[in-house]
Amino acid sequence: MSLDYVKFSPGFDKFMPKEYKDMVEHGPFGKKTTVSQMGSFKEILEEHPMCAGCAMTLFIRLAMISFPNPEDTITVGTAGCGRLAISQAAIPFVYGNYGDQNGVASGLSRGLRLRFGDKPKDVVVMAGDGGMADIGFSCTLHSWFRKEKFTTIMLDNEVYGNTGGQESGMTNKGAVLKMAPLGKKFEKMDMLAMAKSAGCAYVATVVPNNPRRVEAVIKKAVLIAREIGPTYIQAYTSCNIEYAIPTDKVMEDAKNVEGDRYQFTEYVTDEAKQFLAERYGYKEFLPKPAPAVTKA
Amino acid sequence: MYLVADINVDICAQTSCKLCTQFCPEANTILYNDQAGRDKGYKYGAAYVAVDRCKGCAQCVWVCDNMAKHNAIKMIMIDQLPNAAITDNIVYGEKSTTAVLAGPAVG
Repeated sequence: MSLDYVKFSPGFDKFMPKEYKDMVEHGPFGKKTTVSQMGSFKEILEEHPMCAGCAMTLFIRLAMISFPNPEDTITVGTAGCGRLAISQAAIPFVYGNYGDQNGVASGLSRGLRLRFGDKPKDVVVMAGDGGMADIGFSCTLHSWFRKEKFTTIMLDNEVYGNTGGQESGMTNKGAVLKMAPLGKKFEKMDMLAMAKSAGCAYVATVVPNNPRRVEAVIKKAVLIAREIGPTYIQAYTSCNIEYAIPTDKVMEDAKNVEGDRYQFTEYVTDEAKQFLAERYGYKEFLPKPAPAVTKA
Repeated sequence: MYLVADINVDICAQTSCKLCTQFCPEANTILYNDQAGRDKGYKYGAAYVAVDRCKGCAQCVWVCDNMAKHNAIKMIMIDQLPNAAITDNIVYGEKSTTAVLAGPAVG
């Protein structure tokens, strides 16, 4: 949890693998990296066993680059595809039982605040739609009701992709899947409205076909969660296997879905706007100057 | 044999869009060398693929063809690449990376 944990132990540097050396010497720790610099520095995320062309992986990759202070960040996850990539990264990852990720993150976040005081340590939960909206629903909602200060990111692939294609609460009505051959009979859960009414200070939907927007959304959510309250990001990360999307059409699908049912939305409370403007200089949230009075 | 992405330096180095580096789902797979094109007299550098990390999804091809409209990336069989970058031969610099190209070892 500091820049020291990515240094070589004295005398061991020549025995370390190349990837580790690159991470120490050219990683993002202690620097400000952005998506426009991608391809020119060593990323936190390493090789992982996710499927080729997976949009969820792309989102996780963008998210890891967007963390404001990666050296002070811990990710929390649960069963699902996402943890296969999130765990293959150079920042600590906590793997809870299925569905308790927001409960684990609550304790972790409180503990870090007790231990480190005002020095910001970010806790980011990244879990799938099943882990968050079905099995972990109570932990997720209650962490929001309790105003726990950490970021919750749902990797919404609208299916249980890891176990063969069962419908989840976030699957769209009528969707026919391998393990839901008659089609889903109920509407997609409105987690965004629940997040707002439960008291999240920042709620956004995002699709990974706009890397700069993903970066902006994640930075805002993590910064707000440091002091104001819970933040929630819902990201459309299609499952190209269960929804049979050819891998080279994954971004085309993301673009179509963004234009259809996953348009970019952002909800920021006034308190969070003021915090971002005053503490981190977000110009978009600064109070508008009064219009100049012109003499007639 | 299997397909990997291959980026045409002569097309890529004419612009500095870098979109493929932002849309690849694999980390540190499409990298950017800001001298690759300048060596050949172009205005910008060029992206290249670390073939040992490429899973062959061709998302970069769609992005280059449809978003950037440069058509600089093609999928080709790995044993037909004359020279390629692999992770062991990639050197990170301050703001860019370079790779010593070698024939990909295909067993």
